[in-house]
Amino acid sequence: MTGAWHMLQGTPLFWLAVTLLVFEGADRLSNRSNRHPLCHPVLLATPVLIAILLATRTPYPLYAQNTAMLGFLLGPATVGLAVPLWRNRALVRRAAGPLLLALFAGSLTAIVSVTGIVWAFGGSAQILATVAPRSVTTPVAMALAQQLGGIPALAAVVVLIAGVFGAMIATPLLNALRIRDYRVRGFAAGVAAHGFGTARAFQVDELGGTFAGIGMALNAAMTALLLTLWAVL
Amino acid sequence: MAWHPAMIAAIATLLLCQLLGEGIHLLSGLPLPGAVIGMFLLLGWLLLRPGERPTLVQVSAWLTAHLSVMFVPAAVGLIEEGPVLARNGVAIVVATLASTLLTMVVTALVFRWALTRTEPMA
Repeated sequence: MTGAWHMLQGTPLFWLAVTLLVFEGADRLSNRSNRHPLCHPVLLATPVLIAILLATRTPYPLYAQNTAMLGFLLGPATVGLAVPLWRNRALVRRAAGPLLLALFAGSLTAIVSVTGIVWAFGGSAQILATVAPRSVTTPVAMALAQQLGGIPALAAVVVLIAGVFGAMIATPLLNALRIRDYRVRGFAAGVAAHGFGTARAFQVDELGGTFAGIGMALNAAMTALLLTLWAVL
Repeated sequence: MAWHPAMIAAIATLLLCQLLGEGIHLLSGLPLPGAVIGMFLLLGWLLLRPGERPTLVQVSAWLTAHLSVMFVPAAVGLIEEGPVLARNGVAIVVATLASTLLTMVVTALVFRWALTRTEPMA
């Protein structure tokens, strides 16, 4: 019995099965909540998996090694962000000037405000590098945090918090600002809250959702460029 | 998603772009991640070679739709970050919430302002 357990505990088969089962359960709960941002499947699945690791006394590196296949897919998924940009190139071109100006302003605000506040709290260089990419989609944020000397796991969670919060405040905040143009509403949600903002924007309006997706993809590129520039200087 | 032979080509395209991106990343020493360079390469390639690419659209949409499950193993890595969280948890959460709100406000206001200048009375 213990022999069999030890054999299975060191296999991708076991940990991929556990991870996907837990995620599927979390996803069903999220679906039942009508996709409320606070019921995001990652938010529900992560503590359950941590509890399983603790209960089975599994060291994290063993788990990470056996679930590496899932993380591998983040790379091609990042490359694929170019596709929606290319498909919507006509929409992008029509508003190119204002779009790029807003992108630059939003991206810079995100980086400066999050690092500024953490710095004011006395955060170390490692923590600054972790939070700096907070407004971009998770795979890019993790890669950037890694490159800059931050903690990728923590960057993933920071991005998650930003997404949950952004999706929750988007509608009331943009109403308070009296923004009626769905291009502007969607784009702001995508730049500030990446995939969460995009999913929320699509719930409200098709054009808004498309612009949110454009904002998410463009911001991944802009933030990567700005942070690279920052690291080089 | 129905299986289609062209999917291999689409997956190979994504992997090739990432591979070239990683190569450029390693050779240049730039901190820009290889996958992000790969994204620029794919965008450039798509713009230079006109044509419809339904399968590539399908495959990348499938990947984007399933991003969440891909970063679960990384998020579980928090298990090892207890001390960092205890020391910086509050600062990180406050900064993240404030920054998200500010970013949304600035992006929306700048976009609207710039649009009214280029599209008067749109």
